[in-house]
Amino acid sequence: MKKLPLHTKIVIGLVLGVIWAFASSSLGWNEFTINWIDPFGTIFIRLLKFIAVPLVLFSIINGISGLSDVSSLGRLGAKTIFAYMITTFLAIGVGLLFVNVIKPGSHVDETQRIKNRLSYEIWLQDNNMGLSQDGKSFLSDPEYNKFLTEAQSEREMSEQERKNLEDKMAKAEETKESSPLQFVVDMVPENIILSISNNQLMLQVIFFAIFFGVTIVLLPKETVAPVVGFVDAVNSVFLKMVDIVMKAAPFFVFALLAGVVAKMADTPAEVFEIFLGLGSYSLTLLGGLFFVVFVMYPLILKILTKDFSYTGFFKKMSPAQFLAFSTSSSAATLPVTMECVEKGLGVPRKISSFVLPIGATVNMDGTSLHQAVAVIFMAQLHFIDLTIGQQLTIVLTASLASIGAAAVPSAGLIMMIVVLQSVGLNPAWVAIIFPVDRFLDMCRTVVNVTGDATVSTLIAKSEGELTPVD
Amino acid sequence: MIKRLPLHTKILIGMTLGLVFGMICIQFPSLSGFTIDYIKPIGTIFIRGLKMIAVPLVLASLIIGVANIGDISKLTRMGGKTLLIFIVTTIISITIGLSIVAIVKPGHKLPEETRTNLMELYDTNAAGKIDFAEQVKSRGPLQPLVDMVPDNIFLATTSNSAMLQVVFFAIIIGIALLKVPKEKGAPVIAFFDGLNDVIVKVVEFIMLIAPYGVFGLIASLMIEIAGDDPSKAWELLYALLWYSLTVIAGMLIMMVAIYPLLLKMFSTVNVLDFFKGMRPAMLLGFSTSSSTATLPVTMERVEKHLGVSEEVASFVLPLGATINMNGTSLYQGVSAIFIAQALGLDLSLGSQLMIVLTATLAAVGTAGVPGAGLVMLVIVLEAVGIPAAGIALIMAPERILDMIRTMINISGDAAVSVVVASSENAIDKEVIKEHVND
Repeated sequence: MKKLPLHTKIVIGLVLGVIWAFASSSLGWNEFTINWIDPFGTIFIRLLKFIAVPLVLFSIINGISGLSDVSSLGRLGAKTIFAYMITTFLAIGVGLLFVNVIKPGSHVDETQRIKNRLSYEIWLQDNNMGLSQDGKSFLSDPEYNKFLTEAQSEREMSEQERKNLEDKMAKAEETKESSPLQFVVDMVPENIILSISNNQLMLQVIFFAIFFGVTIVLLPKETVAPVVGFVDAVNSVFLKMVDIVMKAAPFFVFALLAGVVAKMADTPAEVFEIFLGLGSYSLTLLGGLFFVVFVMYPLILKILTKDFSYTGFFKKMSPAQFLAFSTSSSAATLPVTMECVEKGLGVPRKISSFVLPIGATVNMDGTSLHQAVAVIFMAQLHFIDLTIGQQLTIVLTASLASIGAAAVPSAGLIMMIVVLQSVGLNPAWVAIIFPVDRFLDMCRTVVNVTGDATVSTLIAKSEGELTPVD
Repeated sequence: MIKRLPLHTKILIGMTLGLVFGMICIQFPSLSGFTIDYIKPIGTIFIRGLKMIAVPLVLASLIIGVANIGDISKLTRMGGKTLLIFIVTTIISITIGLSIVAIVKPGHKLPEETRTNLMELYDTNAAGKIDFAEQVKSRGPLQPLVDMVPDNIFLATTSNSAMLQVVFFAIIIGIALLKVPKEKGAPVIAFFDGLNDVIVKVVEFIMLIAPYGVFGLIASLMIEIAGDDPSKAWELLYALLWYSLTVIAGMLIMMVAIYPLLLKMFSTVNVLDFFKGMRPAMLLGFSTSSSTATLPVTMERVEKHLGVSEEVASFVLPLGATINMNGTSLYQGVSAIFIAQALGLDLSLGSQLMIVLTATLAAVGTAGVPGAGLVMLVIVLEAVGIPAAGIALIMAPERILDMIRTMINISGDAAVSVVVASSENAIDKEVIKEHVND
């Protein structure tokens, strides 16, 4: 048992967790699982999260203060942002390709789609938004009149769903109203300790840490030596903490998965129902995500770094990927991602400590791919034909949104509302994809984390600092 | 060419351009939206930067400051005497500032309408303030003292308005560091010393964007106050004139009343001789607006022309340049109250005392830091709950007032050194007779 590598153990924990959840739900033990097993999963996420902020702070300061000259940092920063933008655009491209080829929205019953379309046009009229994007009007077409009354009595949302939606809409509204430069302003902390005390203000901590690190480099070595020594030591302590926590990861992952699945549904049959309900959409999205992780990133790495080993990469990254899947939080996974990238892929700490925290907050390949697929799926579902130009608008908004989303908690759905609004679609549609979102979020996070690792490898390569590890 | 200009000149240019640009925007309303969307954020970033560094700055510099001061005062009797006079003159100067601003009320020179406008702009919740005032009434007289002690130091550091608690904590730590054995305290002191250096450098970097930040703040302030009515902009400038005059009047009182009184009562040096001897240093302070940069000249004048012994001068003056800032603390008192008046906030006596305390204590640590004046003002404003963005109001005359207050700071240091020297019998009267006019 002891000889098994960590990632194998994590997989075992993951599989056992799912099996346990199914077994417990068919035996009626769900309450036991939620009361006595699920808390350990929460403990795990908390352990990782409390390490994440100090680790970001100290590892960035440590990494940057180790640079010999700061001018290389500007180059590094520009390269990082550029690489993240490119991978995000590529991921969105993959999403668009999948959703246009598979057309998951058109697998639904034709009359239902016509009804959807009609209710959408009614919504447009109610909000005085003029014609739909494709310029057609089903309402004025007598052929569709027979569906009209049915469309008007479209399904009502439950009270809770509506409240949830209204909250998200309000947040989306705030995001839209502020000055276009607001996201830059929001990067500067008002009180650095306050930023440290709030996980959602991670970008501010990164800003401060970079600033602080750069300042250390510019000061004479002897004056800052005690500070550098302190930061270095604390950083090592936190890294060691990650090590210790990860020893227990297989057990924690078991608890986490058991809890997640148990909470999703009471019986195994219900779980399957959820997936079947949105089958074509989920499958398309999963296909896109898989393609990005297993084809696109390896291809990029293969082309740009010569000595790339496919199995090696996934073997080294798998602890982080499994963790991303089970926690569905790139911030919580960050400590492990850093370790995998440094020890497994041979990226020097001064690069990984700079690139990865930024990636964890800014780079959201999986999330933006999801945006593209989901929005176009919803359009298809409502019989709306979007031209390539309109789809590109969505791409642009989605990728900008994913950058701005860094500061917004549970950003995915809120940003989707922004995207839907920006192309004149009904933002209430996000309710359609609520049910499967928890599971898809887990998969998106894997993409996000793998993307971060890929970019950090590329940056290290381009700086000529990639040291191969066996 | 532009790179060679000293920072303070650039700030001055930023201010003037900001005023002019703001005026232009008022004439062409289409520009206003652009300015608010794309230029104002630069100013906001600047203010946020200052806020970001405030807590760490106070913490590190105060711990180091106290640790070092304590060291000196243990060594000599002179140290204790010097500190006492520094603290007394600082309190006097703040009191003068607060009294004169309460009498002149420069903030009320703004018409009522503009003030409500400003209130909305900075979102000063009047209702909340009334609630707060009610609470204050029902509390015991010693509550402010209780409030100085933090419940949880990390919680205190997360709130800019709990600055006094941070100050309290830092002073306690500084004192404690002196009381533990040297070899145990040394690594901690070394750490905070290094940290302090880094933070001071960070402040320097933030000040690099000051010219642009000031430009953005002033331009957007003009637009937001005036809307499309240029006469309101003039009213604002008029109120600023009154504010500047108030600060200058307060400083004049220090210069022509308090220092002469101090010299007359506690020293043997003639007041006229003092000003004659100090004139070059004061002029240099005026033009550089840095007491540290002027320090060599101040020392030379005090030793060679006022006859203070080298021992006293080399101890009192460098210390004074870093911890004694009469002009600055007076300026802070006046500015805080002016902003409060302009925003329609009534500050209780308790809040005003808080300003005195915060300004005095913050000065102990942060005085040597270039640009610290602004950071300290942010600290003082946040401590009494005035929105720090109100700083934009007083940005325009800040540069000129900075020059004058440096002059006061330097005169204060010199006066204290003369008083200390007199009490220690360390003054050479022959020197005054022979060299005072050189």
